[in-house]
Amino acid sequence: MSTFLAALFSGTSRGAIFALVALGLVIVWRGAGIVNFAQMGQAMFSTYIASSLIANGNSYWIGFVVALLSGAVLGSLLDIFVMRPLSNKKKTELLSSESMRAAVPVIASLGILGALQALAGIIWAAEERGFPAPAKQEGFTVAGSVMPFTAFDVFVISSVAITLTLTTLFFKKTSVGLAMRATALNQEVAKLSGIRTNRTRTLSWAISGAASSLAGLLLTPSSNLSPSTLDLALLIGFTAAVVGGLDSPVGAVLGGFILGMVISFVTFYDTPEDVFLAILGVLLLVLIVRPRGILGSKDVRRV
Amino acid sequence: MLKVENLVTRFGSVVALDGISLSAQASKITTVIGANGAGKSTLLRTISGLEHPSSGSITWQGESILGRRPEDIVRMGIAHVPEGHAVIAELSVEENISMGSLFRRRKFKADVSVAMDEVYTLFPRLMERRKQLAGTLSGGERQMLAISRALVSRPKLLLLDEPSLGLAPLVVEQIIDSVNTLCRTTGLTVLLVEQNANTALSVADHGVLLALGKVVADCPAAELKADANLRAAYLGY
Repeated sequence: MSTFLAALFSGTSRGAIFALVALGLVIVWRGAGIVNFAQMGQAMFSTYIASSLIANGNSYWIGFVVALLSGAVLGSLLDIFVMRPLSNKKKTELLSSESMRAAVPVIASLGILGALQALAGIIWAAEERGFPAPAKQEGFTVAGSVMPFTAFDVFVISSVAITLTLTTLFFKKTSVGLAMRATALNQEVAKLSGIRTNRTRTLSWAISGAASSLAGLLLTPSSNLSPSTLDLALLIGFTAAVVGGLDSPVGAVLGGFILGMVISFVTFYDTPEDVFLAILGVLLLVLIVRPRGILGSKDVRRV
Repeated sequence: MLKVENLVTRFGSVVALDGISLSAQASKITTVIGANGAGKSTLLRTISGLEHPSSGSITWQGESILGRRPEDIVRMGIAHVPEGHAVIAELSVEENISMGSLFRRRKFKADVSVAMDEVYTLFPRLMERRKQLAGTLSGGERQMLAISRALVSRPKLLLLDEPSLGLAPLVVEQIIDSVNTLCRTTGLTVLLVEQNANTALSVADHGVLLALGKVVADCPAAELKADANLRAAYLGY
């Protein structure tokens, strides 16, 4: 029973973070039609910025806020200086096939990932460093026994819950959110309605950047920080997004929690070595039974 | 009002518009008719900035709008309702309509809801269904929705692309009547593209006949309607 509870708690906490990573991917996919493989590179970069600030004597919270902001700024800059020129119609007309044209920004995002990792290595040296947590990472003690649930887990779950609620409200209730949904669903109609689609696209990069930076801040306390620390999170987050349906924000969150649970239960009941096998198993199962993902819509491009 | 001169639009090696000149007079309905592939839709798409012409000029209220982006052209008072009942199926009726006035929400805050009420009065059925997803509407309702979305941007010129496409005759009549009423009562200028020449010519003031990207006839709608030779040669009836 205690193993089960431990697996459940750890799965919820991990799942929340993967949900955040998947949500970041889905927001850019919907807003710009690009699978952004650089996402966790951006998160790594802003986590390093936070790490430097904290190492220089600033409080955790200053590092936290600056990391979220720099995640948003970095995302916007990537869109404005890399993705927007790439999607410029005249240049891409040189590429004859539709699928090649769609592949260009994705390949560019892989390039950006490499560049960010190299840059982080140059600036902050490539060796691992610790990253602080804002709350205790020891389990709560109830009636003399240590529970598998920490104050940091509470922080993780509540900050992810707040982020998910705020993004949902933003998309559903605000004018800018409506403009972003319209742009994601039908760019031509959005443009004809007077929506500045370039701006809403950049905004989706910014929101995704901030969300994934939060994921970076929440992941590194338990795994140390290095330029490639978050690669694994991207892989799992991407799988979560595909499992949930790449074009569905709710699906992304669901996929994140499913994978968090799978990883946690396999770790607790089997061995950590089998985690990847289990993830691949879930991915294959979903791709065979429901290729568009659990909540994905029918006409989404195959991944 | 709107003046198009020697407009040429190409898709690769295909010339869709081959030197078109025409104009839309203020507060009048000008209809552009022609067979499939005559370049009617391309003409509207070029005016609204979705396609880029390789030469020619487009002048709106004395100002060139060539090279401007669609989102800026809407702001100048030209609203385009593209072919095929262009609404966003995953958004509600209300969201589809308010999308068209998002850019006015700060400057003309009070007028935004007035404009909404006006389109609901024009198409009461949309009012009944305002919370439904646009994807659940019938073809006619979608067309009304697409027109409403354009109207709340408070256009001076409405570009309407084949509103009759795939709709029952009764519904077509209803929609064309609404547009006609709008033009006559509010002074809206309309550029109506139609394959259904009889319907279009019956409400239009002026008619332009296109064939293979060129203007074949440009005269009062009644004359075009009466010219059996032209119709037989270019429309097949």
